[in-house]
Amino acid sequence: MILLMAWRNIWRNKTRSIVIMLSVTIGLLAGTSVLALYKGMMTSRVRTVIDAEVGHLQIHHPAFRKDNRPVYIVPNAARVLAEIRTMPEVKLAVPRTLVGGMLLTPRGSAGVQIYGVLPPLEYEFSQLRRKIIAGDGFHADKVNEIMVGKKLADKMKLKLNAKVVLTFADTADNLVSAAFRIAGIFQSGNAPLDELNVYVMASTLNNLLLTSGSFQEIAILLKDDKDLDHLQIRLNKRFPSLLVESWKDISPETELMVKTVDEYSYIILVIILIALAFGILNTMLMSVLERTREIGMMVALGTSRERIFLLVWIETLLLTIAGAPLGLLSAYWITSYYHRNGLDLSGMGKDMMASFGFETIIYPSFPWEKLITISCMVIFTALISCLLPAWKALQLQTAEALRR
Amino acid sequence: MKNIVIDAHNISKVYNPETIPVYAVNNIHLHLQEGEFTALVGPSGSGKTTLLNLIGGLDKPDHGNIYINGTDITKLSARKLIEFRLHNIGFVFQSFNLIPVLTAKENAEFILLLQGVKRAERDKRVLQLFTEIGLVEKMKVRPAQLSGGQQQRVAVARALASKPRFILADEPTANLDSVAALHLLDLMEALNQEEQVTFLFSTHDPRVINRARRVITLVDGSIASDSAVVSTSAPHEHP
Repeated sequence: MILLMAWRNIWRNKTRSIVIMLSVTIGLLAGTSVLALYKGMMTSRVRTVIDAEVGHLQIHHPAFRKDNRPVYIVPNAARVLAEIRTMPEVKLAVPRTLVGGMLLTPRGSAGVQIYGVLPPLEYEFSQLRRKIIAGDGFHADKVNEIMVGKKLADKMKLKLNAKVVLTFADTADNLVSAAFRIAGIFQSGNAPLDELNVYVMASTLNNLLLTSGSFQEIAILLKDDKDLDHLQIRLNKRFPSLLVESWKDISPETELMVKTVDEYSYIILVIILIALAFGILNTMLMSVLERTREIGMMVALGTSRERIFLLVWIETLLLTIAGAPLGLLSAYWITSYYHRNGLDLSGMGKDMMASFGFETIIYPSFPWEKLITISCMVIFTALISCLLPAWKALQLQTAEALRR
Repeated sequence: MKNIVIDAHNISKVYNPETIPVYAVNNIHLHLQEGEFTALVGPSGSGKTTLLNLIGGLDKPDHGNIYINGTDITKLSARKLIEFRLHNIGFVFQSFNLIPVLTAKENAEFILLLQGVKRAERDKRVLQLFTEIGLVEKMKVRPAQLSGGQQQRVAVARALASKPRFILADEPTANLDSVAALHLLDLMEALNQEEQVTFLFSTHDPRVINRARRVITLVDGSIASDSAVVSTSAPHEHP
């Protein structure tokens, strides 16, 4: 009966109730869309980190992470690599030679991270070929070729086929310099990395470092993200003398960013719901005050205070949740559309997005995993919104209420 | 000897006690036996509604005790008082006070629902009541679709649904036309005589007063006369 009364009560003033329901619909549409957008951005960022930058896992000499000297090679890299490639979870494993150095041009110099790569494998692993915007990348018959990022090229005013000199310390701590010709300019979604990373062929770099046939890094890409944790544990057990790290260990800022943005999106939703709560509170307060005599009569007849509270709460809840499905459904429709077609945010500042490592086309993803939390927040909003009206209803003096 | 249903001792209710005190009810003693059909009369502001509210447990007296079926309701907590009203007292209000979102049937069974009476029993009781009040065909309509007289009859059905020991009615015919008022009086009288329901109602209406078997007259919050006692006592002076 209380539920029936509550449902009928909210339709006593249809216009008022519909306005509140629409407010909830629009509020939830906005809140959920923000969650979906952020989820899409974070998913995109994480995918970029995994698929184009770090991979799922990386293996190094334990001392290499603290002191990036090329002397810290992965012992028995070929054997380790071969064994990793036999693991069913592994999609791709690539070796890399790494050294920090300076890039010199007649116009100036810049600190760079030099990657010695096996081009066919690296093209597949970090999608390097897809990112090339000038030139056609490494040529098998040429040795001293280099690929630089657009950001670095712009900064150093480098053009395709221009000559640059790389200077770095070899494994014997001798300073080595070599001239390279630019074979390609690439642009990823991450401007800071485009400024820092340069790629040369592993064989060329190994010759200069005196580390022929050795590597400082093995990067691993998995077939399924879910295998990350257990494979990391397995590899740690299999190669106890090596350092096996996941992308979360190597790029903690990405993990932190995901968590921060997740919390931030909840804060936005909470702000929307607080604003809605005031609207709902106002409506319910009016509704209760208009029914002073009716509520007084119900108490006179023997309706307990708990039942009166329950009635006001259910009315508030119905008013709140009636608009929720439409809001969530609208958010789902809109999100699904942009998930398929992409949302172009380049208008917001392509360079700014890239400087934070984000792609400019975002594919929002409906936050299914947050649906229960959102529902709980909506119910909690209803509960909070009904407290004052319910308190007002409970404060009514029966005889006084009946006189009104 | 019939049971005493209402036993009010020395009850007073003062409004604005700290500024200009108004004695709405002043030192009243009142006893009602089971099956009485009593009218509470008096000019406007004489304290009829306040006295009914005090006896019905809708308001607390500043002085005195009120025993309903032997229970001192002035000593009950707010929660216990609501529970007590639910099971012992029926109310009929001047302006009907039906719940507008419920049908006539749902209004009548409202108290039974609060009491947790099972559906089959509720349906049986409500049908019986609607037969008595002659509104079986109107059971499924909402109060707004009923005339004033029909609404008040539904209100009486609601008050009687849980078979209370007595019914308090505050000017039940005030908003009714002559025909509807007479119908209602016939109904109340029949219930009083056939089911021994005790009625205490406030009224200005001479038709109602003429049908009452006992008439208590209030003046300035005190009992000026009571047809049940041989000599009428003068209003008490407040000390």
